[in-house]
Formats: sequence, structure tokens, C-alpha cells
Amino acid sequence: MAFLTLQLLFRRLVLAIPILLCVSALVFGILRLLPADPVGMSLPPGATAADYEKLKQAFGLDRPLFEQYLIWLGKLLSGDMGGSIFFRRPVTELIAKALPATLELVSAGFALGVIVGGAGGLGMFAMRGGAGEHALDGATTIMMAIPEFLWAILLILFVGVSLQLLPFIGRLGPGIQLPPPVTGFLLVDSVLTGRWDSLRSALLHLVLPATALAIGLAPLVMRVLRSSLLETVQDDYITQARLRGVSERRILLRHALPNAALPAISLIGVQGGFMFGGTVLVEMIFAYPGIGNLMVDAVRNHDLPVIQAVALVYCVLVLGINAVVDVAYMAVNPRLRLAGSR
Amino acid sequence: MTTIDRRNLIKLGAGASALMALGVPRAVLAQAAAQGQLTLAFPADVPTWDPNARTLAAVQSLYKLVFDQPLTQNPDVSIKPALITKWAFDNPTTLSLEFRPDVVFHDGTPMTAADFRFSFFERAKLPVPEGGRRLDTAFIWRKVTDIEVQSPTKAVMKFSEPMPSAIAWLAFLCSFVVPKAYVERVGLAEFTAKPVGSGPYRLVEYQQGARIVLEANDRYWGGKPAIPKVTIEIVRDPTARVAAFESRRADVAIDVPIREAQRLGTQPGVTARLDPIADIMLLQITRNGGFADDRARLAAHHAIDKVAISRALFGGAATPISVPAAKGTPGYPPDFEFQFSTERAQALLRDLGHSAQNPLNIKFASSNGAFPNDFEMARAIVQMWRRVGINADLEPIELSVYQERLRAGTLPEATLFSWGNAVGDPEMYGGYLLDPKSIFSAFKTEELAPRIQPLLTETDEAKRIQGYRDAHRFAAERGFTIPLLQTVKTIVHRNEVTITKYDNGWVLPNTYSFKS
Repeated sequence: MAFLTLQLLFRRLVLAIPILLCVSALVFGILRLLPADPVGMSLPPGATAADYEKLKQAFGLDRPLFEQYLIWLGKLLSGDMGGSIFFRRPVTELIAKALPATLELVSAGFALGVIVGGAGGLGMFAMRGGAGEHALDGATTIMMAIPEFLWAILLILFVGVSLQLLPFIGRLGPGIQLPPPVTGFLLVDSVLTGRWDSLRSALLHLVLPATALAIGLAPLVMRVLRSSLLETVQDDYITQARLRGVSERRILLRHALPNAALPAISLIGVQGGFMFGGTVLVEMIFAYPGIGNLMVDAVRNHDLPVIQAVALVYCVLVLGINAVVDVAYMAVNPRLRLAGSR
Repeated sequence: MTTIDRRNLIKLGAGASALMALGVPRAVLAQAAAQGQLTLAFPADVPTWDPNARTLAAVQSLYKLVFDQPLTQNPDVSIKPALITKWAFDNPTTLSLEFRPDVVFHDGTPMTAADFRFSFFERAKLPVPEGGRRLDTAFIWRKVTDIEVQSPTKAVMKFSEPMPSAIAWLAFLCSFVVPKAYVERVGLAEFTAKPVGSGPYRLVEYQQGARIVLEANDRYWGGKPAIPKVTIEIVRDPTARVAAFESRRADVAIDVPIREAQRLGTQPGVTARLDPIADIMLLQITRNGGFADDRARLAAHHAIDKVAISRALFGGAATPISVPAAKGTPGYPPDFEFQFSTERAQALLRDLGHSAQNPLNIKFASSNGAFPNDFEMARAIVQMWRRVGINADLEPIELSVYQERLRAGTLPEATLFSWGNAVGDPEMYGGYLLDPKSIFSAFKTEELAPRIQPLLTETDEAKRIQGYRDAHRFAAERGFTIPLLQTVKTIVHRNEVTITKYDNGWVLPNTYSFKS
């Protein structure tokens, strides 16, 4: 299994190279073709037309598009993502500071979406034909009908403002200082440095934005899992298990669920990728300092190096999450393992 | 089977609810208004803690909390001493300055004229790494040929040619003094990570894009601020800023939507301020397409009911302006008002053969969300124009696209635009917006050049101010610009907090206090 996993990951890695190249070329090309002027936006009063031209040269924006791309790609391969036009800082530094927040948020949202979706799917199946199923079905419809950013606002207004149950701004409460940086991940650093106050505060601050993200995933998982379970329990091997006197609970969890989960896992792979896209608005609304928030600033200021780099990071994350889902898929599907070993 | 699973499900739900209830004590959530601490919900973050790097009006207030400017401004935007106590032009190209002797940086080192020279001359001349760019101060102070340090409290700025706006610039945007010794010792990266200034607050915690925590500087030359600790929550989304205020997570919310500010202002214990500031909203005009003739542009200006727009979209707080300057600033001609008159607009259009039945077709661009109610205002103007016989094709535009078209000379006939000028000097209005040589001007006409360009080096202050008043008026009367309204700043705060309102929109918690 370990060998097959490594083999799969290697194949994914090889496939990722052309995908990343295509995405980088596409993002780079589209941004350069837009009739927008990042240099003009960053010029201070007192600057002249000659200053404008000099700056354009300094940023390499006066060169042919293909040459610009090759220079950028060359630097990227050596780990240099360039300098931000707006922030006047290395893009790598900006992303290194913001990325852990997004990864923590997406991980929490992903985990919440999978757990709630999985539990809800089982619940809907268990209550099939009853009022409970209809209620859950209605709830999933509502969850899917409202976009993530609107859920974010509704959660803030209801849970944050009306009930005042949970915080909704930033990553930590006032008066709670950041733990000393070890890994850059707030939750991990809090644990490593024994800062339980910051761990608690960070977890509380994660709940609402993670819920807003999870709402995009959970109802879909619930529905697919329910449908898949309904089909699976009609299969002959389930009937035979019942005839052998196996309990319904064991049939569901041991026999039906592993097979029924496969379509849900595929769906999680696809939706997990979309979840990163959802962070752009959710982070802005919750003032969560991740790469989504960084992207908003970069787009507003047409900060080309930051937009390109963040887009590429998103692409890497989506490919990463797809690879993880593939491994999970293989782990629960013996046919794939068998095919891989041949 | 069903019964067992449902029971399990209910157990799970009940357990989760209990955990939720037990795990989140309200004390943890009662974030704002702790005694002696002020929390602001603020819409923007600094791009870097190097205050000389960028000219960003939106964050000048944040820099002013940690760093000092050589000069500063009174709430009515007039210039007042800060680090510099006395200033005088010895001749048109020599400016003598005297500094306070009692200023210390947060690291305990004294601020001297050498730090001023470093910030305004030496740093600007530093070589630029490949792919990098110079500090914005290098562009602004390009006429400075040297700063002669005569003593720790005396310096002389020498210019290649007269720079009458130098006094205003010493209080504007990125003009801050940074500690030479500290910056040279630790390097730029460390300086921006742990900035040291001489401002009223010390930076004690910074989470990029999320939070700035400041503690009062006990040794501040202007006296220790009344509020010992200030937390600035960076909340970009206006709805979330309102929510932060309503949930008492912030004591003060900045730049909330006009209607929200009006609503919050009706709540007990809350004060909402909607004040016009020195920034302006205007239509950047070109001679392209239907606006080639002066009469068409003047008709477009006469047709706009600015008072109605202010009332409908800004609660009446946006002051209508007739020239591209804020009312009450030196460059505003006090006796001039451009009339709103649909009759005059119709008459001018009739001369050109246009009417409501045979409208003049133009293109009109506006940002959407770049500043409060921009697109709504553009739509209102389209309706007003339609009534007199101008048919405007409204197009939303990004600021970066605006810049590209401005540079290429391809802007449409009219573009709704916002222009910031916290210092209120007329050079930063007409000098930049109307001078055909300026990279910010849209209407490139040589008719304005002789009226504006001599003023850029005019050292007779009275003559300079009068010159700008005349140029502003001339530009409006000829339809080279269509000024609309002063921008409105909204600040919502709890009544326990006393705030100082600045006419340029500054938000300076060091001038705030708690009511006892």
C-alpha cells in the first residue's frame, strides 16, 4: 500500500508540472493582456512621465511578453517570486506569512465539511422516508442555495452580533499575543510553545469562517453519500449479509459505507479545490489574514507579481488536495489497489 | 436500525451543543471597550512599516501613530509645528528649519537634524536594487540638492529650484522621520519588522492584514496619549466593520457605509459622524468624442444637481464644490459658484443641435466600490444628463484600467474619480489635476499650462494662492473639469469615547480620550 501510494503521488507530481506551467502561462498572459496599469497606480505625486518609463523598465514591463514570462519563470524556479509593486516587499515573504492562516482555515473548513457531510449523509440514510430526512434534505437545499460569502455575513450577524457566541474578526482575541513563531502555523505554534490561551482563542476564531467554507462542501457530501448508500444497500452482498444475521449497524458501517463513500470522496476532491477559491471572500469578510485577503489587496492594486504568485499557490494547493483525495480513494477502494499493483 | 441511528444522531447533536455552550464563555468574547483600551475597526493596513516607501492617503493616520512628521496639521487642516518648530525660506531655494530638542525615538535615542537629513535626502539617494524601486520620498523631494545639518536642532534644505509646496509636503503622506542609527544598524528588513519611530504610540504587535496593537509612548514630546493602549483591527469588509461595532468588539468603526452610519447613529450611546473632508469627487473630463466642444462640457456641468446627490447618497453631508478643491482650503475661490441650471444646460445643448429627443451621446466611466457610493452617483448623473439631452453610456472601470487609459489618453468623455488631498494645499489639487504636464491630469490643454506651471515655483505665497484660485475657476468656467462634492468620512463611535474630528479625515487615537 505504501509503495502504491508513493507511486501514485509520483505520478501526480509528474502530471502537476505541465499543469503548473500551463496555469502560470495562462495567468501571466491574461494579466498582461488586461488594459490596466500597475505602474501608474503606484506612482506618487511629483513623478514624471520619465519616472513612469523608468519604473516600467525596472519591473521589466517594457519587454516582450514572452521574455517577461521566461524571466519570471526563471526566477520562480530559483524560489524568487519577485517583488510586490504595492507592498514593496518580496512576494515570497508576503505569501509565507499569509499561507499558514489559509491552510489552517481550509483544513478546518475541510474537516468540518467532511465530518458534517458524512454524519449528515448517514443521518439522512438512517432516517430515510421519515420527517428527519425531509428536514435534512430541506436544510441542504438552503445551504446550497446561499453562496459562501453570504453565509459568512449571516453567520457574523446571527452568531457574532445577535447571539454574541463566537468571535468573527481576525485570528486572535484582543489582549492575546501571538505565540513565538516556530512553524508559522498559529495552532501548531500555540501547542508547541504551550500557549493554551492563544490556542483556545485561535480555535474560537476559526469556527465561523471554517463553517462558512464548510457549508459549501457539507450538503453536497450529505446528498451524495445518502444516494450512494441507498443504492448500495440494494446490492446482493448486503442482502446476503442480512441473511447471515449481521446487524444493521455493522452492515452499514462495515459493508455499505466503504463502497458508498467512493462517490463522496471523488466529490470531496473536487469541492475541496473550490474551497480554496472560497477563501478569497471569506477571509476578507472575517478579516482573516490569509492569502485570500492578500489576493484581494493585490487585485485592487493590480499588483501583478502577487496575483501571479497567489494564483500559482492556489493551483499547487488544489493539486495537493486532489492527490490526498486520490490516496484516500485508493485506501478505501481495493479494486484500485489491485489495479495499481498489476 | 432507524431508531438506534436517530438516537445516536440526537446524542451527537446534544453533545456538540453542550460543548459549544461550555466552551465559549462570553468573557472571552467581550473584546472591546476594556478599561483604558480602545479598539478601532479600520479598513486598511499599511503595505510596509517603512513610512517613506509609499504615498498612501488611506494609511497616513496609521503611520502617524508610530512615526512623526516634521510638520503636522490642526483639525482644520492648517499647518502646525511638530518636530519642526520654526521654518522660513531664506531665499527661494533655501529653507531653514529648527527642530524640537526634546524628541526621542522609541528606542530612547534622541531625534536630531541628522535623522531628518537621512529620511529626506540620504535614503532617497540610496541605490535601488535590480527590479526594485526608489522610495516615494525620492520622487517628492527630487528638487532637494542637499540638507545641511548645522546643529542637532538646525538644518537647511537646499533646492535645485523653488518648491513652495515644501512646507505642505513636510506634513503630507510619506514625509516621516525615521531613526538613522537604528535603520543603518538593523537594516531595512528588521526595521520594517520592528519599526521604531518617535510617534505617540509604540508598535507592540503586528499581524499583517489583521491587527495592529499600540502602546502609548510615555516619553512622547506632545505628552503621553490619554488612551494607553490602542488595538486596530483591520477589517476590509464594511459590513464586518459594522458588525464589529454592533457586537461591541470595536469602540470606533471607520468608513462604514453612509446608511449604516445613519442607522447606528440613532442607537442610544452611539454617535455617528458624517463629515465632509478635504478629499474631493469630480469628473475627469477629456475632449474626446462628444465633449470636444466647450458648450457640451459646460452643459454637462450645469445639469448636475450636486445638492440632490449629496442629500440622496451622503445624507446631505457631502459639500458641493464648484472648483477642484475643498471649500475653505486656500485654493478655493470664495466668491465663485458654478450654477446648477437645467435651463442653461439645455440652452447650451440647443446651440449644438441637441435636445432630449436628439441627445448628445457620450461615454462615461465610473469605479464601482472604489469609494463610497461611486457607481450610484454615476447613475444619478446619467439620469440628470438624460433630462437635458445627454445620453451617457455608463461603464464600470477598475482604477488600474483608469490609470492605463489616462496614460494612453483614451479615457472617455467623463470619468468619475476621487482625489485625496489631506494637506489641502492647492498645488495638490489643481497643480496635479489641471497641469497638462502632470501624469494625473486628464484634460491636456495648453490653455492651462501658463496659469498653473508658474505657480509650481511661485514663492510669493499670496500670489501663488490667488493664482490657483484663478486657475481653478478658469478650469471650471471653461469646462476643463467637473468638480462634484467633497468626500464624506464616516466615523461611528461609542459615546464614552471622545474623538477629534479632522477636516482631512485623519483618524488619530492619540487625540481621543475616554469620558470619565
